[in-house]
Amino acid sequence: MNWLKHKYKVAKAVAIVTYKEWSAYRTHSMVSILVGPVYFVIQYFIWKAVFGGNDEVISETVINGMTFEQMLRYYGAATLINYLIMDFADWNLQMLIRTGKFLTFSLRPIHHRFFAFSQKLGHRVLGFLFEFVPCFIILHFIFGVNMVPERIGYTIISVALAFLMNFYVNYCLGMTAFYFVQSSGIRQVYQAIAGICSGTLIPLVFFPDIVQKLLFFMPFQYVTYIPICVYSGEYSLGGISMEIPQIIGIQAIAVVIIFIFSEILYRNAIKKYISVGG
Amino acid sequence: MKKYLKINKEAIRVAISSAAAYRADFLLSMIITLLSNVLYPLVTILVYRTGASYDGWNMYEVLLIQAVFTMSSGISSMFFESIVWSTMRDVQNGTLEIILIKPVNCMVYLIVSGFNVYSIGVVIGGIIMFAISIIKLGFPSPDMWIVSLIFFAMGILVMLAMQLLMAATSFKWVANSRIPEMYESVMSFGKYPQSIFNKVVVGLTTFIIPVAMIGFFPAAALLGKVQWYMYLAIIPCILFLCLGVAVYHYNVRLYEGVGG
Amino acid sequence: MEDILIKVDGLGRRYVTYKRGSGFKESIKSFFKRKKVYVDAVKNVSFTVKEGDIVGILGPNGAGKSTTIKMLTGTLYPSEGTIDVMGYNPCKDRVKYVKNMGAVFGQKSQLIFDIPPVDSFVMNKAIYDIDDREYEERLKLLTELLELGDIIYRPTRVLSLGERMKCEFIMAMLHNPKIVFLDEPTIGLDVIAKQNVRKFIKEMNERGVTFILTTHDLQDVEQLAKNVIIINSGEKVFDGTITELKNTLGAKKIVEITLADDTESDVSDIEGVKLIEKNNNLQFTLEVDTEIIPINKFIGLMSQKSVFTDISIKELPMEDVIAKIYTEKVGK
Repeated sequence: MNWLKHKYKVAKAVAIVTYKEWSAYRTHSMVSILVGPVYFVIQYFIWKAVFGGNDEVISETVINGMTFEQMLRYYGAATLINYLIMDFADWNLQMLIRTGKFLTFSLRPIHHRFFAFSQKLGHRVLGFLFEFVPCFIILHFIFGVNMVPERIGYTIISVALAFLMNFYVNYCLGMTAFYFVQSSGIRQVYQAIAGICSGTLIPLVFFPDIVQKLLFFMPFQYVTYIPICVYSGEYSLGGISMEIPQIIGIQAIAVVIIFIFSEILYRNAIKKYISVGG
Repeated sequence: MKKYLKINKEAIRVAISSAAAYRADFLLSMIITLLSNVLYPLVTILVYRTGASYDGWNMYEVLLIQAVFTMSSGISSMFFESIVWSTMRDVQNGTLEIILIKPVNCMVYLIVSGFNVYSIGVVIGGIIMFAISIIKLGFPSPDMWIVSLIFFAMGILVMLAMQLLMAATSFKWVANSRIPEMYESVMSFGKYPQSIFNKVVVGLTTFIIPVAMIGFFPAAALLGKVQWYMYLAIIPCILFLCLGVAVYHYNVRLYEGVGG
Repeated sequence: MEDILIKVDGLGRRYVTYKRGSGFKESIKSFFKRKKVYVDAVKNVSFTVKEGDIVGILGPNGAGKSTTIKMLTGTLYPSEGTIDVMGYNPCKDRVKYVKNMGAVFGQKSQLIFDIPPVDSFVMNKAIYDIDDREYEERLKLLTELLELGDIIYRPTRVLSLGERMKCEFIMAMLHNPKIVFLDEPTIGLDVIAKQNVRKFIKEMNERGVTFILTTHDLQDVEQLAKNVIIINSGEKVFDGTITELKNTLGAKKIVEITLADDTESDVSDIEGVKLIEKNNNLQFTLEVDTEIIPINKFIGLMSQKSVFTDISIKELPMEDVIAKIYTEKVGK
């Protein structure tokens, strides 16, 4: 119990400090208030054209099991969820390793991953206030797209799992800097693939069937696509439709797997770090 | 003018020789840049796979628009992009003075003194997409090519103006690496056939922020879908560049006044 | 005060590096078949540190100082030998150990750049689980000793290097460590800031904190260290007090002498005296080995030989002593 209380205190302190640190740059987050809605407007026109152009045809058309209404909700959810789970733990960690500053964490009684996670918490509180809330207001009230999640409880769980998933994946990517001098290539390749496969650009059901099936074994859909689907209340991929609680269960398993993987990688990396010296 | 061409030639030489020194790194970076630039065409292909279309345009027509856009952004980032990052860095570190004391025009110098080799991948990607689309669509007539080239050149001017505005914004918004993201979102309107947008958007992207000139107009010329108002849009393109130049210079003068 | 705090025995650290060819073909080759090269960064180093001591670890660049400090702080495994700090094995009991130890690395800041140092302190308060009252008291004491005042409430980025370094000290000492490691704590600081930092270290030492410091600034060592360890090419080449260090080159003095006229300026006939520098015909700098010729005998001889208007007798500069020790080792 005491242990938990201490952890909570550390997380809170680190999160608050990170919040303060990034508050100076909160206008940077506010770029999203322009960028998010602009891309949404483009998506609106694209899909309006795809769904047939005039209102009568649109209301009757269903593409890949999605109506125009659902498509808009999909992109809205993709925009908003991204603000809640975004992080750059990978960039931070590789920077600490490359500059040798990682050492200062070995000298303090704290696990760096926990520290980084607390930082992300603080940083995303900022994202919530200055990106999520304004964009929610714009999408919901000005654009008139119903952005209230279908099932709020499940959506929160799924977004929280996506938050963890994204963090662990990025932390693993950051750890590659322990092994390679030029680890930026690996991170960039991952990000380029994630750009396509996470589902932010287009719902994953548009991919060829074989790719959809493969995506079950890759981290991408667990980061963005699943929470978006939970947000809109329906999930299917690779011809498999699932109940919301079921897919959240699978998402949770994915988080456990990536956690175990990151733990193994961390132990190995620290062993290397402490036996070879940064 | 000759001086700046010389500087540019030198910058290109340096960039290429340093890329040659780190070949593996260069190839990887080029591929990554290319990958992140073909995302939108990929989405187009995925949408058309379902049998749907963008308001009756066929897939290769849309790909042609996006190929032109990709080439344009590749070329402009190759030659002009350096001003964005140099200005951002120099304003943040207070090192712009180093350029201001040189016997050159700060803006022109910052444009010509950098060359982004990695964008070659984007240009090549754009050319390949362009070639495939043209082959599928049938070869346009020479006068279509001429009109398209003129539009393309105008589109490049719009791109240059965008880069200048990005750079100028970083005087005000110090160390915000998300500035380009903002402008890129607006430029995205040029990646699609204009007929999918409503009248307000068409008006804005033709006459106010003429981003339609970057991808759509040159492609429309090749597809024989030129409309009279497209020629008229050449004027706002030139004005837009003038705006970019003026805003950048204005900010440099402000900076000189305050001394960083 | 005679408690032994650190006991290092037969410490060694071996690095494995791979020989890499230059050129494209060579580097492809080395990609598949690499030649192992062993480098001993630290070899068979043993020493002890007593409670309340200030130990200066000296050595030229690349001598193994940082490797030694890293092993002492538990951030690097030794390949040989044992380390015992306050009963802990630094690497194995890392988390427990670091709670009782502090460290300032001159070139690796713990402070967060964009916010005031005090916010970083609050973060460390949570990490080290320091209770509120103790934190307030410690912070007050440390800011007073370092004469920081309100500075800790200003954003770190606007602070001078000296002020930042002082804040690094607070960061490392809030949790009241018994032992503090300092890696080049005065690097880049101006004279006043250096003096302040040194004064602080002395005061904390009087309050019972043991310091281990590495530095290239010999003034740090002369003014602070009670004991000195010199490492060169990975081996310990000296371990003793400051006075012992100064006497390693024998009991030599530097004599600067100004003559009234240039009648007699030759000193080569006096045994144990060496001419180091001749500024002009009248001014000389001599090195006198007082074991061969006591200083009063030397002055007597000199005054018989010539008339001098000024004379000053100095210790051998530390630089010379250290340089001698460094080069001797290389020569061997």
